[in-house]
Amino acid sequence: MTTFKTIGKSEPRRDLPEKLTGEAKYTADVQLPGMLFGKILRSPHPHARILSINVDAARNLPGVRAVVTPFDAPKGQVAPDMPILDTEARYVGDEVAAVAADDEDLAEAALSLIEVKYEQLPFVTDAVEAIKPDAPQTRPGGNLVGGKPLTLIRGSVEEGFAQADRIFEETYSTPAQAGAALEPRAAVASWDGDNLTVWKSTRGVHADQLALSLALDVPRGNIRVMGQNMGAGYGTKDETRLGAITAVLAQRAGRPVKIELTRQEEFVAGRHRHGTTTTVRMGVKNDGTVTAVHATTIMDTGAYLSSGPGVIRRAGQGALYLYRCANVQYDGYLTYTNTPSGGSYRALGAPQGHFALESLADTISEALGIDPLEFRLKNHVGLEGQPGERVTPANEVLDTQPVEGGVPFSSNGLRECLQRGSEAIDWGQPSERPESGNLRRGKGMGMFIYRGGAGGRSIARMRLESDGSLRLLTGLMDVGEGSLTVMPQIAAEELGVGYGQVLVTFGDSETTPEAPLTAGSTATFSTGTATKEAARQLKARIIEVVAPLLDTEPSNLQITDDGVEHIQYPERSVSFAQIAESVGEIEVEAAISPGSRDHVINSFGAHFAEVEVDTDTGQVRVLRYIAAHDSGRILNPKLAINQVEGGVSQMLGFTLSEQMLTDPRNGVTLNASFLEHKSPTVQDFPEMQVLFADVVDPVGPFGAKALGEPPSIGVAPAVANAIYNAIGVRIRDLPLTPDRVLNEIEAQRGDSQ
Amino acid sequence: MAQEITLTVNGATRTNQVEPRLLLADYLRSVLDLTGTHVGCDTSNCGACTVSLNGDAVKSCTVFAVQADGADVTTLEGLASDDGTLHPIQEGFWEKHGLQCGFCTPGMIMSSLDLLSKNPNPTEAEIREGLSGNLCRCTGYHNIVLAVQFAAEKMNSGS
Repeated sequence: MTTFKTIGKSEPRRDLPEKLTGEAKYTADVQLPGMLFGKILRSPHPHARILSINVDAARNLPGVRAVVTPFDAPKGQVAPDMPILDTEARYVGDEVAAVAADDEDLAEAALSLIEVKYEQLPFVTDAVEAIKPDAPQTRPGGNLVGGKPLTLIRGSVEEGFAQADRIFEETYSTPAQAGAALEPRAAVASWDGDNLTVWKSTRGVHADQLALSLALDVPRGNIRVMGQNMGAGYGTKDETRLGAITAVLAQRAGRPVKIELTRQEEFVAGRHRHGTTTTVRMGVKNDGTVTAVHATTIMDTGAYLSSGPGVIRRAGQGALYLYRCANVQYDGYLTYTNTPSGGSYRALGAPQGHFALESLADTISEALGIDPLEFRLKNHVGLEGQPGERVTPANEVLDTQPVEGGVPFSSNGLRECLQRGSEAIDWGQPSERPESGNLRRGKGMGMFIYRGGAGGRSIARMRLESDGSLRLLTGLMDVGEGSLTVMPQIAAEELGVGYGQVLVTFGDSETTPEAPLTAGSTATFSTGTATKEAARQLKARIIEVVAPLLDTEPSNLQITDDGVEHIQYPERSVSFAQIAESVGEIEVEAAISPGSRDHVINSFGAHFAEVEVDTDTGQVRVLRYIAAHDSGRILNPKLAINQVEGGVSQMLGFTLSEQMLTDPRNGVTLNASFLEHKSPTVQDFPEMQVLFADVVDPVGPFGAKALGEPPSIGVAPAVANAIYNAIGVRIRDLPLTPDRVLNEIEAQRGDSQ
Repeated sequence: MAQEITLTVNGATRTNQVEPRLLLADYLRSVLDLTGTHVGCDTSNCGACTVSLNGDAVKSCTVFAVQADGADVTTLEGLASDDGTLHPIQEGFWEKHGLQCGFCTPGMIMSSLDLLSKNPNPTEAEIREGLSGNLCRCTGYHNIVLAVQFAAEKMNSGS
């Protein structure tokens, strides 16, 4: 068995000291001399053409230093379907103009002096309505993104359904869910001649640098993006418009500008989990064998595309891959509406798709008289992957999951998750009888698969510095998940030194090399692999330069906590400081495009919930929760468990209480506050157990696989299935609020009478 | 019209001219540069801005700076000893990994301080009740509860 110095140990988070003492700096904490405050004027209409904007009164207000409107903004795009400012407003809250003034109150006052003439246009706020032929058009190209659905096929569902003894079909819906990161997004911009520095809430400084360069038509090398501590984002802070507006204001004012969104703005103009409607049709044999799966998802991307094309793909992941089946199809309809923009949010579309799939799996199990656990044990995809022939050429890296079969997974611990999770919750044992006659208890489960694969190209730099310290430099951002801690663990392990000895510099487009977004649960895999390779190279270089100093061959030397020593004669040694003094600084850089040509790299898991439903009030309490995950080798157990607990907590909100509500009459977001978009509090958290399958992935760094997002996928089906088990009522629309539960109890009782 | 206020912040006397509409949170952050106090909502829902005002936890986004005139205010920056020794609550959050992104942490710690000063031996339910005005979106709260339990034990054994 491999023994590790630091991998697998719960090393303390790197950022604990600064975050516990108030020293940690977030974007809103950035203060610059002469800094102005910016505010954004937002559209009151869900869809309107902006005919004219009169800013004279605002500009003449003493203390107002800069104004920008769509008519005078630079013409670059911040995204393919989004200029810096546009003459068409596409949702209530869309950016229309912006001002910078000496203080925030003045900026606010200036906004009220801006006169905008709008021509209101027809609008649509519901995705299912939006793809109907006579729907109001949000864009010249139509509401359906690309004009057709994303269709992914393996085999033939017609053949699969022909083989089935029984066919089941159900439709499920999920609402828009705000990410509601506690830190509202902020940006600070400062120009020095032709050079721009931007501090912003971000999950990728290099991606922002490129996007700002394109938007502002400023050479990439003239832009520096510096990531600060992130008050989390869960994926939702991947937009560039705020940074671009701030930069334009700062340029015009000739002074630094800061814009901080209010909480209300963050809810409306941030990014959220896409609302979906999903129909799943499954064919099964009477013995429970799955013969066909066909899922169709209609997804509301809102006013802008953002990462919608990736999210619609992920919503089909469960239907295409979770059950062993030769005949599957997924049709994803990504649809514009005149509502706030969806975006990346923890596990993208996977939770929505899995909610439908894993709820239907329970319906089928019951109809066939098979235990839901047995149904899954019988049908879950195995290590060998899906049946069928490989189509993707073998020389292509499988970074986007192939639809075809015939490609094995690098590792697959799903069965272990099902087995250990079910044991932990005493699956098969009825719940204890609750104390009161109105209370009913039940258990439910859901399993899941998540790509969270290799990620993009990443560069890591490792340095022996002139004072003998060891430093890892990467453009990666720690958005709260802990890569600031895990990356030095990887580097230290590979080098052979203690965790604390590797210093880190993260998230600065000027001083750190390019890393992909902290997104898609890929950071550990991509930047971790680059870090490991850079550490390997640094170790080799150090030993190589030390060999002549110690008058021996490199093969006789090893790295220790203090420096380099002779393996047989440890007294012959040299410290890192002495090495640096003798040969100067040593720097290496490793660029990798991670992935595998031979395997599909996926994470797996199974969640189990025990709930108590009050049939008088409709209130659902989650009593016990078991989260079993295959994320490969766990590099830092404490951080990993924390990720799972946090992901489950967030998605208990998605399942039971959170939803963004848009008034269909006027497009106004009705609940843009923490009071009304109800997130779980400390009193809502159930007793929870986190289990990790004993899997070491052969491809991932030190055997690790994706972990950040998977915890959010299994929650809704596990809880909804437990509610069904408790009260015999199947609720197909999230969130499972007390009023909805009560109404469904009434309605379904009525049906059965 | 600016008004003069004098108050004690983290043990130091501060006198400033402030507009009556200036919020205590903004006074601490912008005037005193104590950015350890975070603003997450402006509406008293999230609790990130919680500070101690004369020994009581208050949400500083809904207190005016002028209301703190003459008061004794403690923020997260004032919790550790001068020699850098962490307060037992800070130590608890360290030992139990009671944070991820850290944005809620100042408020969580200051609310915990209020809770433990009034109830040195809280049950788990009392801890959850005491922190129910503070949102955390990252951790799932479990480690935060453990952190407060750690601190309670340490503070009791030390006294």
